[in-house]
Amino acid sequence: MAYSDKVLDHYNNPRNVGSLDKGAANVGTGIVGAPECGDVMKLQVRVNDATGIIEEAKFKTFGCGSAIASSSLATEWLKGKTVDEALAIKNTDIVNELSLPPVKIHCSVLAEDAIKAAITDYKTKQGAAQPAAEALKA
Amino acid sequence: MNRDYFSFFGIEPQLALDPISLQQRFYELSRQWHPDRFARRPASEQMEALDNTALLNDAFRTLKDPVERAEYVLSRYGRGLEDGAGKQVPPDLLEEVFEMNMALDELKEGDASARPQLESARANFTALLSEIDADLERQFLRWDSVKNAETLSAVRTLLNKRKYIVNLVNTATLALGN
Ligand code: FES
Repeated sequence: MAYSDKVLDHYNNPRNVGSLDKGAANVGTGIVGAPECGDVMKLQVRVNDATGIIEEAKFKTFGCGSAIASSSLATEWLKGKTVDEALAIKNTDIVNELSLPPVKIHCSVLAEDAIKAAITDYKTKQGAAQPAAEALKA
Repeated sequence: MNRDYFSFFGIEPQLALDPISLQQRFYELSRQWHPDRFARRPASEQMEALDNTALLNDAFRTLKDPVERAEYVLSRYGRGLEDGAGKQVPPDLLEEVFEMNMALDELKEGDASARPQLESARANFTALLSEIDADLERQFLRWDSVKNAETLSAVRTLLNKRKYIVNLVNTATLALGN
C-alpha cells in the first residue's frame, strides 16, 4: 500500500517528537493503544494556565507510518489552540489531511484518542490543583 | 470427528482439572485404544482404534495445559468472546508498555544504559504473569462451580492479558539477549 506524500513527509520528518515533564501541573499526558494492532502512542500538551492556550505539544509513537504521521500532524495542529478547540479535532480531519486509506483509519483514531486523553489528564490535574492551591492560601 | 475432549475422557467440562488424575485417565485410555490390541480385529475396528488414539493425544495435550484447556473451553462454551490475539494493550498497562518500548528503542540505538530499565520492566511483567495465573486459577474454580458466562468472560480477559504480557516478556528477552 502506498503512503501519501503528506504521510511520508511526517513519517520521515516527524514534528515535535519528544516528551514534556509529566509531573508538571500544566502538562497533560495521554497514552493510548490501538486494539487492532497493538501500536502505542504518547501525546503531551503544555498549556498556558493564564490563556488556556496550548503552547507546546510533543509525541512519541511506536507504530505504523500512518500512526506516526497522524500524531505528528496532531501536535502541529494542537499548538496555538485552546484546550476546547483541541477537543474538537476529529480523526476524520486527520484522515482527510493525510489521505489515509480505510485500513489506516484506526491509526488516526489513535491520534484523536491521544489528544482527548492528554486534555482530560490536563483538566483532571487542574481540577485537583485548584482546591490544593486554595488550601495553601488558607 | 469433533468429539468433546472432556466427554472422551469421561469427565465433566471443567477448568480446574487435577493433572494427576487426568494423566491416569490418559494412560488407561491409551491402553484401551492401543493399536496393538486391535491387530487381529477387523479393519474398521483398527481404524477406530487409530482415530481414538489420535483424538486421545490431541485431547490430552490440550487438557493438561491450563491455558490451552481454557482456550478450548472458551471455544466451545464461550461463543462471541473475542480472542484479542494478544494485541490489545491491557489499559492498565499502557504506561509500562510505553516505557518498555522506549527502553527497547534506546537499546536498539546502542544506548546500553537502557538495559537495567528493560531488565526491571521484564521482571515486573514476569511477576505480573504469576499474579494473572493466580487470578486465572480462582476464575477456573469459580466457573467449575457456577458455569456462568460472566466468569468465562473474566477468563477471556485474563487470557488476553496473559498472552500480551508473554509477548512483551519474550520481546524483552530477545532484545536483552539472555
Ligand atoms: S496500523 Fe495500528 S496504528 Fe497504524
